Amino acid sequence: MPFFAGEIFVSEVYRKLVLDQTGEEIGRLKDIIIGVGEPFPAVTAILVSSGKETFLVPWDQINLFNRRVISVAARAHDILPAAIPSTDILIYRDLLDKQIVDINGAKLVRVNDLELGDVKGKLCLVAADIGLRGLLRRLGVEKRGEAFFSFFNHKLQHRLIAWHYVQTIEPKVSRLTLTVSGQKVSSLHPADLADIISDVSQKERTAIFGSLDVDTAAEALHELEPRVQADIIDDMSKERASDILERMPPDEAADVLGDLPEAKAQELINLMEKEEAEDVQELLEHEDDTAGGLMTTEYLAFPPDMTVEEAIRELRLEAPNVETIYYLYIVDLEGHINGVLSLKHLILAMPQTLLSDIMITPPKTIPLEAGKHIVAEFISKYNLLAAPVVDDNLIMHGIVTVDDVLDFLLPTASRKKRRKR
Amino acid sequence: MLNKKKILVFLSVLGPGIITANVDNDAGGIATYSVAGAHFGYSLLWTLIPITLALIVVQEMVARMGVVTGKTLADLIRENFGVKATFFLMLSLLFADMGNTVAEFAGWASAMEIFGVNKYVSVPIGAFAVWLLIVKGSYRFVERIFLIACTVFLTYIVSAYLVHPPWGEIMLETVKPSFDFKASYLMMVIGIVGTTIAPWMQFYLQSAVVEKNIKVENYGASRMDVIVGCIMTDVVAFFIIVACAATMYAGGIRITDAKDAAVALAPLAGKNASILFAIGLANASLFAASILPLATAYYVCEGMGWESGIDKNFKTAPQFMWLYTGIIFIGALIILIPNAPLIPIMLVSQVVNGMMLPFVLIFMLMLINNKDLMGDYTNSKIFNFIAWATVVIMVVLTLVLVVTSFF
Repeated sequence: MPFFAGEIFVSEVYRKLVLDQTGEEIGRLKDIIIGVGEPFPAVTAILVSSGKETFLVPWDQINLFNRRVISVAARAHDILPAAIPSTDILIYRDLLDKQIVDINGAKLVRVNDLELGDVKGKLCLVAADIGLRGLLRRLGVEKRGEAFFSFFNHKLQHRLIAWHYVQTIEPKVSRLTLTVSGQKVSSLHPADLADIISDVSQKERTAIFGSLDVDTAAEALHELEPRVQADIIDDMSKERASDILERMPPDEAADVLGDLPEAKAQELINLMEKEEAEDVQELLEHEDDTAGGLMTTEYLAFPPDMTVEEAIRELRLEAPNVETIYYLYIVDLEGHINGVLSLKHLILAMPQTLLSDIMITPPKTIPLEAGKHIVAEFISKYNLLAAPVVDDNLIMHGIVTVDDVLDFLLPTASRKKRRKR
Repeated sequence: MLNKKKILVFLSVLGPGIITANVDNDAGGIATYSVAGAHFGYSLLWTLIPITLALIVVQEMVARMGVVTGKTLADLIRENFGVKATFFLMLSLLFADMGNTVAEFAGWASAMEIFGVNKYVSVPIGAFAVWLLIVKGSYRFVERIFLIACTVFLTYIVSAYLVHPPWGEIMLETVKPSFDFKASYLMMVIGIVGTTIAPWMQFYLQSAVVEKNIKVENYGASRMDVIVGCIMTDVVAFFIIVACAATMYAGGIRITDAKDAAVALAPLAGKNASILFAIGLANASLFAASILPLATAYYVCEGMGWESGIDKNFKTAPQFMWLYTGIIFIGALIILIPNAPLIPIMLVSQVVNGMMLPFVLIFMLMLINNKDLMGDYTNSKIFNFIAWATVVIMVVLTLVLVVTSFF
C-alpha cells in the first residue's frame, strides 16, 4: 500500500528521482498515468525515464510517493521498459498546460498545475490549479512570489477548481472520458456553453458537441453565431443534425436552416419529422427580418366558447410544447384571432366564465411583413412579452417573443454579433 | 480553375496576409529601408530576394498552423512547451515589442515634426487616440481607413521611376550578393530581416487566420493571400530602398532625421516631398501603433492563460488591459525624453526583432513538424530547409555582429 503525504502538486514531483527498494536510482519521473474514474480519476501507474528508456511502474508497486522521495517496492533490474501507451491519459502530456472548462465559472481556463490527493485511500487527481500561484510554482518561484505579495499585504491565494467541476476538452482525453464527463458540460446554461464552444478550436468543438445529449445540443446550437452553427452541422451526421433540429423550437431551427446553403437545408428538412418539418418550412417562407421570419408557431390558442376551467386544464397539457404560456390567444374555427388573454387574468377569473367574456378584444396584432424594427417598437409601445402575427385576413400565424426582438436591439451584446475580438 | 466559388472563397479568407503585409511597412520599416538606401546605396538590394523567400516560408507556416490546428501560436507554444518556455519567450518578445512600439511613436513624432508639430503635443495626442480607438471598438472601421491610406506607398514607386536610376545596375545588385563585415552593414542586414519578418507579426497573422475560421479545405486560398501579402511588402521595400539610394546615396546625404528621408520623394513631389512622406510615415506609425500593443497583449495573455479581449475591462481582464495600456504609455513616454534619437531608436528596434527571430522560428519549426498536431500538413523538406537556414543565418549574423562590435 503506497504511502503518500497529503496533497501534492504534479509540478513538485516532475522529474524527481525514482529509487528502487535498495535505494538505487531507476530514473526520473516522466509522467503519471491516471485511470478513467469519477469524480476523481485515480493514479494507476507512473512512467520513469532513464536515458532513452522508459519504464512503467504500476501503482501497487510504489512504496513511497511524496515531494521528497519516490520509491518502488522492487529491484531496479526487475522493472521492464515499456512503450508509452497512447490510449491512456498521462498527466504531463495530456492535461498540463491544456485548456479545460471550469463548470462553475462557465468558462475556459488553462491548467497551470494539477493537484493529487487522497480519496478513499487512493491517490487521485483532485484539482486543477488555474491561478497565479500555480504559474509561479511552475516557474520555481512560488515562495518568493508569496513573499513579494505579502510585502504589499496581499495574500497570494490558491485558485483551484475541484476536478468534478472540470470538463476536459482535448479531443483525445474527451473521447476517453466521454461517458460521464459529458454530462458535466450539459449542466451549463446553453448561452455559457455556446460561449465556450465558440472559443475552442474545431477539433475540440466537435468533441464537446459530440458528447452532448440531443436536448442540450439543440439549446446550445441556437446560441451560436451562424457561421459556427453551419460548421458544426457540417461536422456531424445528417441524422444527428436533423434530430437536433427537431428538438429546437421551430423558429430557432428555421434560423439555423436559413443560414445554411439551400441544398443542405433541404436535405435536413427532409430528414426531420413531418410535423416539425412543416412548421419550419412555413417559417422559412418569410423574410428573415420580418415578423414572419422572427415568429414561432408554438403558442397557446383556444376557442372563444371554452370556459376558464377547461382552458386551464388544456394549458397544463399544452404548456410543454409552447414558447410562452403567459398569453393565450383566442382563435375561432377558421383561425382568425378574436382576442388575447393573459395568464394572470385567466387564473384570477371564475372557473365557469367563458374566455370570450374576459379576453381583450380587438387584440393588437402585427402583419407578417412588418419589419423587425416595427415589431420592436410595437412590443415596446404596448409593453408586451409577445405579439401575435397575422396575415391580411386576420388569420393568426405565430407570435414574436420579446427575447427575439431584444437580440437585434442590443447589437454589442447580441449573440449574432459575437466575435472573439 | 478559376470559378465563382473559388473566387468567393478567396475573398472570404482574404485579409490576414494583406493586412500583415501593410503593417510590415511601419515606422521601423520605413526608417530601416530608407537608411539602407541612403547610406548603402544599392548594395543591400540583394538581401530582398532571400528575405522575401524566407518571409513567404515563415508566414505560410504560420498560416498553415492556424488553419490546421485552429489555435493561435501562443496557445500552441503553451500547450506543447509548457509554462517556463512560454514565460521566457513572452518576456523577451514583450521587450522587443516595447521597442517596436517606441519606434512607432518615434515615427509618429518625426512625421508630425515635419508638419511643425512639437513632439510633446503630437505624441500624447497620438497615444491617447490609439488607446481610445481600440477601447471604443471601432477598430475594424479604422483598419479600413488605414489600409486605404497605405496606398501612399505607391508614391515611392513613382518617385523611383522619375529619378531614372541606373536600372541595369539595380537589377545586378538585386541578384548579386555583396557582403561586408563592418558592424554597420551587419546591423543593417539584421535590421532588414527583423523589420520584414518581425516576430510579433507571426503571432498576429496566426491569430487573424484563426479568427477567420478558415477550413482546411480552403487553405489554398489562404496561402495565396499570404504570398500576395509578402510580395506586396517587399515590392514596397524595394522601391523605398531604390528611391532613397538614387536620391541620397549619390549625394552623400545621410539620414539623421525624418525630414531627410523625405528627400526620396522629391523627384515626384518636389517641394511637397516632405509633406507626402510625412503623411505616409504618420499613417504607417499610427496604424502599427494601434495593432502592435494589442497583438502583444493578446498573445502574452493567451500564453500565460490570462483573460483577454477588448470587450472586457480592467476588472475582468486586468493583465490584458494593463499590458495594452502600459505598452502604449511607456512607448510614448520614452519618445518624450528630450533629445531622444528617433531614427536610431527605430533602427535598433528592428535589429532586436532580427535577433529574436531565431527563437520564435525554432519553436515554430518544432510545432509544424509535429505529426500529432499537423497531421498531413507538416513541413516539406524544402520548407524545413529554408526555415532552418534562416535560423542559422540569423544566429550567425547576430553572433558576428556582437563579436565585431566588441573587437
